[in-house]
Amino acid sequence: MKQKHWLWLMLVAGLVMSMPSAQAADPKELAATVCIACHGPDGNSLAPTFPKIAGQQPGYIEKQLNEFLSGKRKNDVMATFLDKFNKGDVPGLAALYAAQKPAPGTVEDAKLAAAGKKLFDEGNPDSGVPGCMGCHLEKGEGNDRYPRLAGQHQAYTIQQIADFKSGKRSNDKAKVMRSVAERMTEDEMKAVAEYIAGLQ
Amino acid sequence: MKNYVLALSIALGISSLALAAEPVTKGSKQATLEQAEAAWNPIEGEKLIALSAKGDYLRGEITYEVCRGCHRPDANGRVDGKYPRLAGQHDTVLIKQLTDIRAGRRGNPKMLPFADDHVINAQEIADLAKYLSHLPIPANNGKGEGAYLERAAKIYDADCAECHGKNGEGIREKFYPRVASQHFAYLENNMLAIRDGKRMNSYPKMVEVIKKYKDKDITLLADYMSRQQSEPQRDPQPR
Repeated sequence: MKQKHWLWLMLVAGLVMSMPSAQAADPKELAATVCIACHGPDGNSLAPTFPKIAGQQPGYIEKQLNEFLSGKRKNDVMATFLDKFNKGDVPGLAALYAAQKPAPGTVEDAKLAAAGKKLFDEGNPDSGVPGCMGCHLEKGEGNDRYPRLAGQHQAYTIQQIADFKSGKRSNDKAKVMRSVAERMTEDEMKAVAEYIAGLQ
Repeated sequence: MKNYVLALSIALGISSLALAAEPVTKGSKQATLEQAEAAWNPIEGEKLIALSAKGDYLRGEITYEVCRGCHRPDANGRVDGKYPRLAGQHDTVLIKQLTDIRAGRRGNPKMLPFADDHVINAQEIADLAKYLSHLPIPANNGKGEGAYLERAAKIYDADCAECHGKNGEGIREKFYPRVASQHFAYLENNMLAIRDGKRMNSYPKMVEVIKKYKDKDITLLADYMSRQQSEPQRDPQPR
């Protein structure tokens, strides 16, 4: 008899815990009314300071959105939209954008991109910058643990590396990206961003 | 000391590495040697945890992602010797070196931010060691000029072979690294660092032996070792 009580209690507790913390809106609706303003109708933003999120790793999108909501990652533009969605919307949004087709970027300076490729592949062994492909993989596609970089706008990539370097952005796992960025020169940031834009 | 030996034998007894603890012998000479060895390679803290843990190959492959950018996807390091080859190194050596670097016993500021305990935990060190020690040894490595190999062989056989093996295979159970087919420049730089007291976590006997070497001796020995071929020593558990 006592055991039965326990079973009921656990069942009810399980139901309560599995309920979403907030009501989730339709992710398509949200995307078409809120996110579209900066990230474009298909997750491929047009303005180079806003990131392309189409085809991004879903785990990474979830982490970033949750950390914008919690304040762990701060951005003035995103800050104005944080009352438009909540934690419950995050998995749906992540799945939606992850499934969209990433548009290729545009390489404007082939010579710079070639220098960027060397850094992306091999890093800079003298200053201790690891090759980006180590974590972000050979074509910058990322995986469950590291974000996709391929095809990203140059301006956004450069800004993020610079923010990791200055510590303005600090939500990287185990300070790894901050440690990488600290060792990068401005020229290296520009070169690698140019190469990344051309990855598909 | 007795406690340490007891803890070690208990831990290693259950360890997948199944290392045998050295018998304790009394006598002052033995005690001095023990102290020197303990100072060289204290088996405690996370080193003890990692040595006692059962490494997992697949988890090791994931943990290795953060290392790939420098040590390369095949763990061959760089042929120019700026990063060492890790593939096929003994698991014991990988654990010793990584934990020594984390404990500040071997300086490596370049690697530390990517290998410290906020990035990789003690279990993951065991996983990494399992993965790396079981990787195939890549064919290409950096070699020296090949000019004085006969002379190098004589010195090597007299001074180095007892610990590092006739063919550079090292001794897994004793934490003596496999030096065979490591990159020439890496071997050269690290031997110089050991001789000049810049690499602090070396076996005292190694420091004693290498003290008398001139730069050119080190260069020709590094060249010789970079050309050695030997089978890796792996833990008997399949991956």
